[in-house]
Amino acid sequence: MSLFSGYVPGEFFDEVFAAPGVARPHYGALLESVGKLSPAEYGARQRAVDAAFLRQGVTFTVYGDERGTERIYPFDLMPRIIPQREWEVVEAGLIQRITALNLFLNDVYHGQKIITDGVVPEDVVLSASHYRPEFRGIGVPHGIYIHICGTDLVRNGKGEYYVLEDNGRCPSGASYMLENRLAMKRAFPGLLQSLPVRSVDGYGAMLRETLAHLAPRGTIDPVIVILTPGVHNSAYFEHCYLAKQMGVPIVEGRDLIARNDRIFMRTTKGLQQVDVIYRRIDDDFLDPLVFRKGSMLGVAGIVEAYRKGHVALANSIGTGVADDKAVYALVPKMIRYYLDQDPILANVPTYLGAIPEERDFILDNLERLVVKAVNESGGYGMLMGPSATREQREDFAGRIRANPRNYVAQPVLALSRHPVFVDDHFEGRHIDLRPYVLYGDRVRVVPGGLTRVALRKGSLVVNSSQGGGSKDTWVLWEDRGAEAVSWASDAGGRGA
Amino acid sequence: MLSRVADSIYWMARYVERAENVARLLLSTQDLLLDAGAEGSDEAQFWRPILAATGDEEAYAALYGKIRGRDVAEFLVLRAENPNSMLNSIRAARENARTVRDQISDEIWECLNGLKLFAESAEAVAMHGSQSAAFYERVLYGSYQFLGIAGSTTPRGDIWQFLRLGTCLERADKVSRLVDTCSGLSVEMPPHPAARPLRWAALLRSCSAWHAFQAHSSRLDPVKIVGYLLLDVTFPRSVACCMREVHLALQALCGEGAPNEMPTPVRHAGRLAADLTYTTVAEVLGRGLHDYIDELQTHLNQIGDSIFEAFVLYADLIPVQGQGGGRDIGAFHSPVDEDIQMQQQQ
Repeated sequence: MSLFSGYVPGEFFDEVFAAPGVARPHYGALLESVGKLSPAEYGARQRAVDAAFLRQGVTFTVYGDERGTERIYPFDLMPRIIPQREWEVVEAGLIQRITALNLFLNDVYHGQKIITDGVVPEDVVLSASHYRPEFRGIGVPHGIYIHICGTDLVRNGKGEYYVLEDNGRCPSGASYMLENRLAMKRAFPGLLQSLPVRSVDGYGAMLRETLAHLAPRGTIDPVIVILTPGVHNSAYFEHCYLAKQMGVPIVEGRDLIARNDRIFMRTTKGLQQVDVIYRRIDDDFLDPLVFRKGSMLGVAGIVEAYRKGHVALANSIGTGVADDKAVYALVPKMIRYYLDQDPILANVPTYLGAIPEERDFILDNLERLVVKAVNESGGYGMLMGPSATREQREDFAGRIRANPRNYVAQPVLALSRHPVFVDDHFEGRHIDLRPYVLYGDRVRVVPGGLTRVALRKGSLVVNSSQGGGSKDTWVLWEDRGAEAVSWASDAGGRGA
Repeated sequence: MLSRVADSIYWMARYVERAENVARLLLSTQDLLLDAGAEGSDEAQFWRPILAATGDEEAYAALYGKIRGRDVAEFLVLRAENPNSMLNSIRAARENARTVRDQISDEIWECLNGLKLFAESAEAVAMHGSQSAAFYERVLYGSYQFLGIAGSTTPRGDIWQFLRLGTCLERADKVSRLVDTCSGLSVEMPPHPAARPLRWAALLRSCSAWHAFQAHSSRLDPVKIVGYLLLDVTFPRSVACCMREVHLALQALCGEGAPNEMPTPVRHAGRLAADLTYTTVAEVLGRGLHDYIDELQTHLNQIGDSIFEAFVLYADLIPVQGQGGGRDIGAFHSPVDEDIQMQQQQ
């Protein structure tokens, strides 16, 4: 029995199989190698990886669970492969997009020309809840606001790439991308050696360079730290992991204090000044003197130190106005306005609750749309129209009417699927892709990123908090022939 | 090095050592009971000194009342209400390791994470329930593994010194308490040469000193045993030896300094180390073993406090404008309140 003999690609775009038994060419070598394993052998390798993740504590914390349970982030061994030619287009699109987003933020926090020129509606932009009017007119290092961006991409039924959303505040997941590659090296050493897979190893060094670029002028060897909310945050593992990759300390708010508009950390030898802070805490919690008063996570005085340019923050404050789900709909206009280019990566058609005729359309078509609250992430605050109950739809309709600015809707996408190992065989599951884009002295994109998988059968939600898992993502340097390779679906199958 | 990190590393090492000592104490007491044939009859006389030495008599009495071997073992090993139980110590060690994962080797982290996963497993509870020695041995080996890995993967910088401080101070504290469990016994040699002083032999085992002592002295002379465990500078678990290590670690952290400008922890540790070096066992017994150990404990606590003040509160002592004080700045000891947990989840 071949591992893939019973696999049915189904009516979706399948990343691996163009048709039953016909593999896409860039998967040929992988299938040839993995296909030789019996389900039992493959299952044993999968379990070995799971056990290693638990032992290493590659976990995330489940919220709403009283015991604060740490779980491993489910990992599916079969990698998702993107040919280099395809990747080059994606990469160019990502660079174009982050460039436009940063120009937009710089504009919104200064002259707001894009609004006065009538390109985007003022009320949609300035009503974004993460817009920080108190930051208007404040210069930030090199005019960069988003230094680290995680842009979620999906493919539709034809395999075309779409941007689902931009994460320009504190995107997470990069550590899992790195850990997944490490797990693959352990599980399939020979395979990685024989295929021209582009390395993701450099992410730590790239991130460090990106952060060092922000250091206040004249700092030759800047002190960089990662600011974490603490061990109870679901991404705490990641904060530690990245600190280790970069060789910088991880600090909590209680480790920092502000003096003379500078930020210091408490060390065993006294106070030491900090130059760059990669903060993984939200604006709201950053500074109890400026934002949320009761914050126990932040540092009193950090915002003033930032305003005065004595410390750099990544990402900057107020970047949430650019990844607001309503402002998202305006990104293609930004790209045309600032860069005079057509968007390389398309947006998913998006209806804004804020615009009356679009709101009516949303309310009339709830059972066909995905409705999202503009400020939620992690798959929370979402309505999957087709699968929702009548009550859930009515509940959302009420919420939309009460606060239309807070909701957008998109058609349900037939997300592409990828084979995922279930018990002893493969089944198709929906996936997306989160590449990581770094904007420092130049824009750097890690080849690939984190492929997230909706592990529940039929589910379209890939978030870790909602039963999602992940896969390693391989960008392959060269294509192997353009023609589809037939992959025998009968017993003992071998690639032709 | 961050003050919080220093404190967490120090306590990580202390909690591992604490768990190890509980494991060995229970293992040696179980063996002693089998040797003495005392199970059931009057086992309380064996367990009471243990509770007294760990300072847990009241907490135990509130939970159980009567002293019974199984209950004492459960209390010292698994009981959540006992902050010093072996399970809580392992959890605290692992939680501290988690907060400083970026500072310690992956191997140290995986070792303590693995130990915690074992201690919480159904397998471990079942092993403990059946009074299996293998349960305690797993914990002991977890601790040995931690010490070995830490020794072979930690650069000899400040992190190493804080690790050493934690291990040695906890060890000195626990060994002195274990010796105290025998302070009510006669130190005379038994009149009959075949009669073996079982309690004293068990004390040596509970300090992992049985073989070392046998090589050092041919007879189980209680006076020599007390001297060996408190004052011998060659045996790595003796209080004197631990204090030398503590003194060296503090000197490495603080630098030498002129005698009258020495930082407080160095002064305290140096004084105690010297005192242990120049004291004879006759002087200890003349003073009264229990009283001597009581005073020793006071000094050990003083050193622990001065370490916290010197390295963790140091930065805090600098006056800061507009800062609300009162935030916990040290290591993990027990689960934090829900408010801060909720905030950390943002």
